[in-house]
Amino acid sequence: MEIKYTIQGLLIYITIAFYLFAMLASVLRRHRTGHVLYILGFIMAVLSCGYRWYHVRHVPMQNLFEVFLCMGMIYPVSVFCRRVLRVGGRSGDMLIGAVVLVPAGFYFNAQPLKLPPALQSWLFAPHVAVYIFSYIFMAKAAFHAVWQLVGKAHSPNENLLPPEEATYQVVCVGFPLLTLGLVLGSVWGKLAWGDYWGWDPKELWSLASWLVYVGYLHFRYMFGRRHPYINSIWAIVGIVVIVITMLWVNLSRLFAGLHSYGT
Amino acid sequence: MRGAAGCLIGKPMSIDRTFKNKFRRAVMWAALALIILLIFLSIYGAFLGPERAKEFFNSLPLAVYWVGFALLLTVGIAVFRRLLHVPGLLLVHAGCILVLTGAIWGSDAGHKLRKKVFGIDKIQTGQMSIYEGYSDNRVILENNEIRELPFYIGLKDFRLEYYKPDYIFIQTRRGQAWRFPVEIGVELALGPDHGAITVTRVFRNFKITIEGDRSMAVDEPAAAGSNPALEVRIESPDGQATTRYVFERFPGHIHGEDELLLSYERVVSDYISELQVIRDGEVAAEKDIEVNHPLYFGGYHFYQHSYDDQAGEYTVLMVTSDTGLAPVYAGYLMLCIGVFYHFWLRGLSGRLNKLINTGSKSE
Ligand code: HEM
Repeated sequence: MEIKYTIQGLLIYITIAFYLFAMLASVLRRHRTGHVLYILGFIMAVLSCGYRWYHVRHVPMQNLFEVFLCMGMIYPVSVFCRRVLRVGGRSGDMLIGAVVLVPAGFYFNAQPLKLPPALQSWLFAPHVAVYIFSYIFMAKAAFHAVWQLVGKAHSPNENLLPPEEATYQVVCVGFPLLTLGLVLGSVWGKLAWGDYWGWDPKELWSLASWLVYVGYLHFRYMFGRRHPYINSIWAIVGIVVIVITMLWVNLSRLFAGLHSYGT
Repeated sequence: MRGAAGCLIGKPMSIDRTFKNKFRRAVMWAALALIILLIFLSIYGAFLGPERAKEFFNSLPLAVYWVGFALLLTVGIAVFRRLLHVPGLLLVHAGCILVLTGAIWGSDAGHKLRKKVFGIDKIQTGQMSIYEGYSDNRVILENNEIRELPFYIGLKDFRLEYYKPDYIFIQTRRGQAWRFPVEIGVELALGPDHGAITVTRVFRNFKITIEGDRSMAVDEPAAAGSNPALEVRIESPDGQATTRYVFERFPGHIHGEDELLLSYERVVSDYISELQVIRDGEVAAEKDIEVNHPLYFGGYHFYQHSYDDQAGEYTVLMVTSDTGLAPVYAGYLMLCIGVFYHFWLRGLSGRLNKLINTGSKSE
């Protein structure tokens, strides 16, 4: 763990602070204040990404530091879920925003690196961007699944979906993105390494996480809402496998593989 | 059924009536079981590392699994009317069948089977090493067997490209460090304890020539080998100047009495092989290949795989057969269109329209 005494670091820490205060305000039922702080946090997150982009002069999605930085811009996802899907959980989104910025702020190396030849592809940015979005949706789905397991519900006057259904709706939005991320990765693998499937640990973990959601969708088709707990457990297992896909494979150095330069 | 309370995207909440049938129930359970099994197999494979995982997923029991999965998907489409009639669901499931079929068809076992049954003998994957100015048609397979392509690949030139600028990395014995871009003639001040350094020459291929009883450093980029180096003048704090050579290939090359450890760093931006395809003595195709930009000819893809890192005189290409690739890509396309159509267009467009029509009421 290291503190980044740079403008970039400062922007990240301010964003985290805004998100955490926004969450605190929401939990204390100061919704308006919470919302304003959330928007301020979002503006800082955008500034932070923009600053990085300007600094490294390529789309900031090359390594884990940059990917997590982008994930910090979660506000539009909250708005979309609330308005279009009637899925709430804004304070959860604020927490997700703060949590994804912690590794960027304290753990990952922010040293700008030159793109190695394999990363110089038009598929690079879409592949990573699509995954970033899907992971955020899946994290949000898992948040509602936990809500369902602990028996929480929104107040009826909020006109929002109950947690189990919210989980399903959000997975339905995230799943196509997860699928596209996997497919783009595979097509890129073909271009860069000659094979659309290399049996690399990172590929296998991402296949496993995609399959968990395939399993969830089929299980929910078979049983509907008859086993809400099991439905929720599927969604939570999904995010756990995603986190392993993202972090463990890169960080553990247990499995050397084609994706290891992502650290 | 769509539009029932709480169901915004995707399938209806109430369980499909057709699901009551026992056979369908069995198919569905089997599908779930195969999906869960594959989750565990993938995780297991991740612990094996790429080579052993590839072997594992291509083994006979797994071949049975893949064929079984593809068959179950086919049976699923046949017995669930909704899988046939809902376009998104059809695209998704048929897409999965295509991906599996293409992958089985293009696998090592698929190639062997075609050789046995149809007599089509194609190399599945292998490597070629080609020297500059030469052509070759021999491919070394993973088992070290050598096979020949029906045409030759010639290498006109192989070259590496580097990001600009180059860097010089300086370290003291006590661990203090600096990293400067290489600029000839610019004095790099290291503070009062360490003096200054100036890069005086850059060599693409450093050589020593002996003239009389004097040895001299010369740059011979056209000569054999590759030995990039820098000539630097080190000025110590007491004003004494010495000349040193810093070699990219031998970082930390140091004289016993030197206080500073120097290295010359360049970051590769691209590996480029200028290739020609030669068939019946004539040039049939030409392409400069680089990472992410392979050559496609005669049912094979040729990739920039590796190179001669000593002298940069030969390139190593990876050759892969394109068999099975078309169905896999078609399957990918169907799968993606299917999921976006089913979950986004069908479900979300209705919601978005409603939102636009009702305006702010939905808030
Ligand atoms: C192994 C054999 C499989 C069978 C027998 C099967 C069968 C089914 C059935 C019956 C449905 C419900 C359709 C409906 O809404 O009425 C369904 C839904 C679905 N299946 Fe499969 N499936 C299989 C494998 C897969 C795989 C490998 C995928 C991978 C993408 C997949 C993706 C989906 C999706 C995305 C849905 C929609 C779920 C929803 O609307 O919530 N299926 N499947």
